[in-house]
Amino acid sequence: MTLLQLPTPKQEEWRWADMAALRTAAGSAPQPTGIDPASLFLDLEGPRLLFVDGVFDPARSTPGPLQITRWTPETTHPLGQLAQGEGWTLSLAAQQAASCIQVVHLGSGGESHVPAQIVLAEDAVASMVETFAGTGWANRLLQVKLARGARLMRSVRLIQSAGFVSIRDEAEIGEAASLVSVFLAAGGMASRIDGGITVIGKGAFAEMGGALLTRETQKQEAAVVVRHEAIEGSSRQLWRAVAADRSTASLAARVEVARGAQQTDGEQSLRGLLLARTATVNLKPELEIFADDVKCAHGATVGELDQRAMFYLQSRGVPENRAKALLTRAFVADALARIGEDTVREAFAADADAWLDTAL
Amino acid sequence: MLNIENLRAEVEGKEILKGLSLQVNAGEIHAIMGPNGAGKSTLGYVLGGRGNYTPTGGTVTLNGEDLLEMEPDQRAAAGLFLGFQYPVEIPGISNVQFLREALNSQRRVRGEGPLSGAEFLKLARAQADLLGMHHDMLKRPVNVGFSGGEKKRNEMVQMGILGPKLAILDETDSGLDIDALKAVGDGINRIMRAPDKAVILITHYQRLLDYVKPDFVHVLADGRIVRSGGAELAHELEREGYGAIAA
Repeated sequence: MTLLQLPTPKQEEWRWADMAALRTAAGSAPQPTGIDPASLFLDLEGPRLLFVDGVFDPARSTPGPLQITRWTPETTHPLGQLAQGEGWTLSLAAQQAASCIQVVHLGSGGESHVPAQIVLAEDAVASMVETFAGTGWANRLLQVKLARGARLMRSVRLIQSAGFVSIRDEAEIGEAASLVSVFLAAGGMASRIDGGITVIGKGAFAEMGGALLTRETQKQEAAVVVRHEAIEGSSRQLWRAVAADRSTASLAARVEVARGAQQTDGEQSLRGLLLARTATVNLKPELEIFADDVKCAHGATVGELDQRAMFYLQSRGVPENRAKALLTRAFVADALARIGEDTVREAFAADADAWLDTAL
Repeated sequence: MLNIENLRAEVEGKEILKGLSLQVNAGEIHAIMGPNGAGKSTLGYVLGGRGNYTPTGGTVTLNGEDLLEMEPDQRAAAGLFLGFQYPVEIPGISNVQFLREALNSQRRVRGEGPLSGAEFLKLARAQADLLGMHHDMLKRPVNVGFSGGEKKRNEMVQMGILGPKLAILDETDSGLDIDALKAVGDGINRIMRAPDKAVILITHYQRLLDYVKPDFVHVLADGRIVRSGGAELAHELEREGYGAIAA
């Protein structure tokens, strides 16, 4: 459709993006996936939405408070702009709750674009899980507005076997509101997880993090900007990247503290693990601070598995591959620990384990 | 049980073991003493199969099997336990998870069925009780935030759970206060003093040998065993120093 307008690696924000994989996925012909969409929902009570190739499937959905509608969201994001037409919205009045919402995106090939919107009024609470499976280019935009005291917990897993998943999250977090988003990319697709989160209310909390697991010649990346515009806000960006074979995992995380956003507490932890010398992890931590009374802890490291720990495990009888799997799982565990719901966290851990079994 | 003949080994191109021979039979406890840099820890690592510790000559058999041909995990399944001088901290993996994985991997190699979570926990708690280790520490990440003494106790709990045939304990006494030393000594006696088991204690000092009486004491110097004797040799070393004996 609009592939000519896509960003290119010449633009700094897109230097690690695998646009070739995106174009290939967009042009791929639909094939039967052999996946039963029902198997992609977790065993949790709550509203369920199924999108097959970007088209809402009412017969296999139970929307509850969610609505399906068509619109063109306002955004300047180059991929987010493409996500227009049929999508879903969740709007909760004050003190309402909705959990656990599940949205499943199953692709069979070609491109699909779905916009989404979540608006939570004061003290409303929602939790959701999104799952991307199948193949093709799945392009999604989510716009979130959290009023005072509202809380949203969002967990997203990318387990497409091939293709490309691009996700753009844009959020405004009001006073004392909280947004926690955790991503796990543990499939065979390429990906771009892109976030623009703005803390606009006093004492708000924003977290966006997760784990990217790449193998073979896969390229995945996360690029997140958290902007603090109000005082006493906290944010946390905790990302783990694991790269095997000749793959590339890239993390770019930026914290911006606007003038006057005093007593901001930002934390940024980017860590990469190389499972092969031919793999690549790119890390780009950035801080831009225009206030003088802030705390921004940041760390960025890339390394290999600790050989001393490997020998310790092996010397107790754990075979080499299992030892690698245990240590790698421990490495990504921090990133998934933020998922509050046990069923969801365990499902994500199982996806990570399945990836490890294949990659090691 | 363990038969080492003329073992040579190098670390990063430097020869450390220069023709070491040692025979350890079932039911025996051997102490290997020696000055710093003699090759004591290298011997432990070569027998354990650590990368970069490369055997260059000689043979080692454990119950008739060629030990040097095996991967480290296969050596463990064959009954070898290496107690570390500096046990490694592993964030993100609990003791219980690690040891259950280790024990069940060993059992698989030996053709035995895996222990369930409940069966394993019962075994682990019993061993922790015997070593005076709090049950909470079983749930904590492996050695993370443990004191020196707690790490060594944890090594003994691991040994109790895994039930090896041959334990090679590398300076298990270092960094221990007197209570911990006694607990570790008792642990070694209880777990390993049996007609079908054997121990090699690698140590710098006599003090652990007050709790674990060795049947044989060997002096390792410059990559070879230069003298062997009974328990009295340890006292002689303590009295006269390595210089006189190893010369």
